[in-house]
Amino acid sequence: MNTIYTLTDNIITSLGFTTESNFNSLKNGISGIAQTFDPKITQTPMFTSLIDSEMLKNEFTQYGDRVDYTRLEQMMILSISKALKQTNIDTKSGNTIFLFSSTKGNIDLLENRRQNFSRERINLWALADEVCRFFKNPVKPVIISNACISGVSAIITAAHLLQENKYSNAIVCGGDIISEFTPSGFQSFKAISSNPCKPFDASRDGITLGEGVGTLILTSNKNLVTEKNPIIFRGGSNSNDANHISGPSRTGDGLFFAIQNALIEAGKENKNIDYISAHGTATQYNDEMEAKAIALAGLEDVPVNSLKAYWGHTLGAAGIIECIAGIHSIKEKCIIQSLGYHDLGVSVPLHIITKFENKEIKNFIKTASGFGGCNAAVYFSELNAD
Amino acid sequence: MENCITKYCIINPEEVIVDGNIEYKNTDGNPFGEFMKSVYRHFDIKYPKYFKMDNLCKIAFIASEIILKDNEKIKETAPNKIGVILQNSHSTIDTDTEYAATIIDKSNYFPSPAIFVYTLPNVMIGEICIRNKFQGENTCFISKEFDIEFISDYVNNLMDSGKIDKCIAGWADYVENNYKTMIFLVEKINENQKDNISFKPENLKKIIKQGE
Repeated sequence: MNTIYTLTDNIITSLGFTTESNFNSLKNGISGIAQTFDPKITQTPMFTSLIDSEMLKNEFTQYGDRVDYTRLEQMMILSISKALKQTNIDTKSGNTIFLFSSTKGNIDLLENRRQNFSRERINLWALADEVCRFFKNPVKPVIISNACISGVSAIITAAHLLQENKYSNAIVCGGDIISEFTPSGFQSFKAISSNPCKPFDASRDGITLGEGVGTLILTSNKNLVTEKNPIIFRGGSNSNDANHISGPSRTGDGLFFAIQNALIEAGKENKNIDYISAHGTATQYNDEMEAKAIALAGLEDVPVNSLKAYWGHTLGAAGIIECIAGIHSIKEKCIIQSLGYHDLGVSVPLHIITKFENKEIKNFIKTASGFGGCNAAVYFSELNAD
Repeated sequence: MENCITKYCIINPEEVIVDGNIEYKNTDGNPFGEFMKSVYRHFDIKYPKYFKMDNLCKIAFIASEIILKDNEKIKETAPNKIGVILQNSHSTIDTDTEYAATIIDKSNYFPSPAIFVYTLPNVMIGEICIRNKFQGENTCFISKEFDIEFISDYVNNLMDSGKIDKCIAGWADYVENNYKTMIFLVEKINENQKDNISFKPENLKKIIKQGE
């Protein structure tokens, strides 16, 4: 089977418009979460992580005309363009496929009808078509809307398409915007944290939402790889709790199945996992469920963090930007502090990373879980690791 | 072993087709809600949670109930070896619109968690998984039209890789009283049996034609 290499990437969030600026903030324990009073987003003050609209405007103008693209399309085009700059992939080639992950896509069009876009544009396939057209890509894109696991699902799907030799390169781009739609829904569930979220902490009281886009480019073409010891996709899998549409399993068995299948696919027989990038939304039930799943997999001694207190929960982007952070943790030989965590608040004694550390890691597992009971796990490692 | 369609169900505003036979007709031309309620009764479905679901979930759920009816054998397969892979065009646009109406007027602001939870298209997969205790691979893809090449490739790969042994696969879409679902039960069967319908684009094309 083809080896699937990670090639280049980009992250656009409140912490900047490059992977470098985002990862530097993570290394320094800097969060992009702030309180917003914007009535277009929330009727009561709320902590969230938003992309600077002025900065988006200034940067996007270098690539295209703002009136032609929605906010999310602008973010995606910008992110993909920046990721592509670092490599020689030809997006006009039939060898390159785009995959998109989003929960709500252009949902702002539903709330603000003054925007001059056709009714059709609210559909995720219309958004994907616009972005593909910008890059003159001739291949029908793959679009995944799998709640909060969408990003991880898209990476796994992309890797499997490349393994089957259907295409040589996959551009995986995921994102969601923050309008009033999603915050009001989570508020109605009383699931929004009254402070920046505190994953796995004893005093955690809910999620913080965030806006973001991430792009990860994968390839099976070894000639495009410049690094000596590149990071590769090894395995990935999805599962379902079959328990409740809006509440995670009480046992963690669903997520455990996903982790197990990802490691089986990777041919990873030993338990030498260096790092787990957890979903860690900071709701009571999610973090507890995840802790139990990690224990079922026998991985409770592995260093684990959640990055949600840096970016908030960025929905369709989360799985992608958190995988990118994992990849850079390997490259820069470090592990990132699980921000917001002080005292263990789950029933399994997890090894939560309490401070930034320079440390060699060779592999990691990224997990995700979402509404509808879905779970996903993906495993990446250096090419020359076990 | 070959990945074969062992049962399928197509529902459109006119009829319910099961394995090629028209099993129920919307003779009175009823709107969606009424029609689905009569289908629910006709096929003797018993699941009170159905009445809480949004229309997209309802149509996907009913088709899944019809193809799994009286299938005791599927319970012998491990829950994590049964997948649900569906595709859809308009995501949850009807429910999104209904939910948005609860937040647009600030003097009448009542965001509803019961509606909000149905603003994610993969929730239809979750409903089918909960009902049947299926815990395997599950993904919701979005495509303007049912992409049979993609879905058959994707499902066959999952089954050939050993991740799952059985799969509920297909299409479900609902927008403004236009709706259609085409759902297939795919199982591994001994090769070259006379009646096998392998889960391949050419067979799917033929089947889909029946519901047009």
